[in-house]
Amino acid sequence: MDFLFSIEMAEAVINGILLGGLLALLALGLNLIFGVIDVTWICYAELIMVGMYGMYFLVTVYGVPIPLAVIACIALVAVLGMALHYIVIEPLLNAAPINQLLATGGVLFFLQSFATVAFGIEFRNLGIRLPVLEVGDMFISYPRLIAFGAALVGMVLVYLFLTRTYTGIAIRAIAQDRQIMTLMGVDSRRIYLITSALGGGLAGLGACVLVLQYDVHPFVGLSFGPITFLICVLGGLGNLIGGFIAAFVFAEIIAIGSLASDLEWGYVLAFGFFIVMMFIRPGGLLARRS
Amino acid sequence: MMKRTFGRLLGGVAIAALTLGAAGIAQAQEKKLKIGVIYDYTGPLAGGGSELHALGAKIMIDHFIKQGGVGGYKIEAIYADAQSKPDVAINEAVRLVEQEKVDMLLGFFSSAQCVPAAARVEQMKKFMWITTCISSAVLENRNLKYVFRTQPSGRQFGLTSMEFIAAHSQSKFGKDPKDLRVAIIHEDGAYGVDVAKGNEEGAKKAGFQMVLKEGYASTAPDLSALVTKLRRARPDVIFHTGYNPDISLFLRQAREGGLRFSALVGHGAGYGVYDKLKEALGKDVNHFFNVDPISIWQANQKALDTKLPPLIAMVGTEYEKARPGTTIKSAHVGMAASNAYVFFTEVLSRAISKHGGIDADALRKAALEVDLQEGGTMLGFGVKFEGEGSPMAGQNARAFPVIVQYIDDQAHIVWPKSQAQREAVLPFPATSPYAAK
Repeated sequence: MDFLFSIEMAEAVINGILLGGLLALLALGLNLIFGVIDVTWICYAELIMVGMYGMYFLVTVYGVPIPLAVIACIALVAVLGMALHYIVIEPLLNAAPINQLLATGGVLFFLQSFATVAFGIEFRNLGIRLPVLEVGDMFISYPRLIAFGAALVGMVLVYLFLTRTYTGIAIRAIAQDRQIMTLMGVDSRRIYLITSALGGGLAGLGACVLVLQYDVHPFVGLSFGPITFLICVLGGLGNLIGGFIAAFVFAEIIAIGSLASDLEWGYVLAFGFFIVMMFIRPGGLLARRS
Repeated sequence: MMKRTFGRLLGGVAIAALTLGAAGIAQAQEKKLKIGVIYDYTGPLAGGGSELHALGAKIMIDHFIKQGGVGGYKIEAIYADAQSKPDVAINEAVRLVEQEKVDMLLGFFSSAQCVPAAARVEQMKKFMWITTCISSAVLENRNLKYVFRTQPSGRQFGLTSMEFIAAHSQSKFGKDPKDLRVAIIHEDGAYGVDVAKGNEEGAKKAGFQMVLKEGYASTAPDLSALVTKLRRARPDVIFHTGYNPDISLFLRQAREGGLRFSALVGHGAGYGVYDKLKEALGKDVNHFFNVDPISIWQANQKALDTKLPPLIAMVGTEYEKARPGTTIKSAHVGMAASNAYVFFTEVLSRAISKHGGIDADALRKAALEVDLQEGGTMLGFGVKFEGEGSPMAGQNARAFPVIVQYIDDQAHIVWPKSQAQREAVLPFPATSPYAAK
């Protein structure tokens, strides 16, 4: 009982919330793309990897101030998202989902190999050491706080964009019915490109946050890709709010499970929960209504 | 007419016979040893040290190729990328043996690859010379005939670090060993598990209080729960075995999580690549310890066989050519170079001259006859392989690791006493962000 109300447990809960923020940010873009275009970017974590390299080179090699580098990095990955849509997705829009999945899977390996050839296999990092935040007897990670803040800001901005702007409303409308909206004069091609840029931009934002705490290397996506995808599925693919909640549920199970038992058990419990939920709610925690 | 046709036919046959004969002679004259070299050139393990081992092995292979081979045999190396994946390592080993028809395999960075690959290579009755992976599980109780390793085992790594701390418990920490609190954390692959097993054995032997022993996946995106547990356990010394991305993630999160302790002992792999540690952690890396075979550039050259120092210089020159601007030459490069050198000079030459060739049995017989005393290799230790019937058949019984401490961009050997270049700085000075308050 003491354990439940211990300072360690409180810290684990906070760590879970902060990890949840990071995962929610990563899931946001992937969910948006699926919700609107109905395509899963399996290579989403690799776009983040490209963004992390962008941050590394801008800040460390070219000495660009961090705020400017963040903007440039978000723009870079947004353009990459548009290019991905234009070159790979658009020709396959009406193809079977498996073909789309395989194509973005191909992009995943392409980006990993490209990064290996272009940047080498060495681990790189910004070398930034943020101060330690001590609250009472608890320690809170600054990079995680920043990630959490970025996730919240990203979520609010995406929400406002989708609900308060003409383009946002068009995106939501086209997400509901691709054919009808085209007949009503909405340029679906343009909307898809804008959505891809938005999804890419969110990946870029994720990259800016991740690079504060993680080394960048061509295979960094392996640590985040699968877990981001699982969170999206758990929340209901395409459901932004569902993905947001699923990220926190997943992260709390990992954080508390890891503290209560062996570290690996935290992940076992989280993935076990995912499997059980797939039986109980195959459409996700907040399944999209058809 | 008939005569002319017969004459032409005879001439043609003669030319064909001469051509084939010449080709046959050329083939017979050009004896060649084909070596399949397997390391991780891509994937997370590549930057975690594998690529540096690959570089060391290549420097030595190229050295012997330039010399025209060994004992009349030309050397040809075929390099394969295990991509940081055990299944790829096994597939590549099989491909090299069955399709490329290599005579033997050399290399292997990751123990997770070594364990299954060694069994597969043994099945194919090919000779396997391990330059790097250290897990005891590769050889322990498997009685492999054709697999040999000059490296010390993971268990030895784990025992050595505990012996070192035990020897300093009273003098540096002011604590009786039974009062010293130690934590063992490790990646959960064959490598981390084996070193941790050695750590645990050593901790029990020394009488330490083991306050935490825990493994984690090296690709885990978050280790903050581990940091919280360690803070709760309040260890004096942390013994850590990991690859590179997980090491820097743990140490960053440890700093952010306010974890304080008195000493950190790492065990090779990521801890052996100082430049990367420094890049990730800056000055925080000061006063960390690392257990590894000695760096060939730090070995006491006066105690080595006289033919070895020029070779060490050659490896250093080639290393600098390949990686200009290196701060501290990584022990990894020297390790693979030295272990490859032992193969060429002690095993291959003996197999050719004494056992009549380069097949797996000849190489095996030659390996079992190697008897190098301390100072006989660039790594300082001797070589004598445990033979059939021994629980660790194929393991070099004379190998030992040393412990270095990183102080102000220099790596100083601090253990064992016979090799020590300076006294260890223990516990962390107050300037370290990890120093116990």
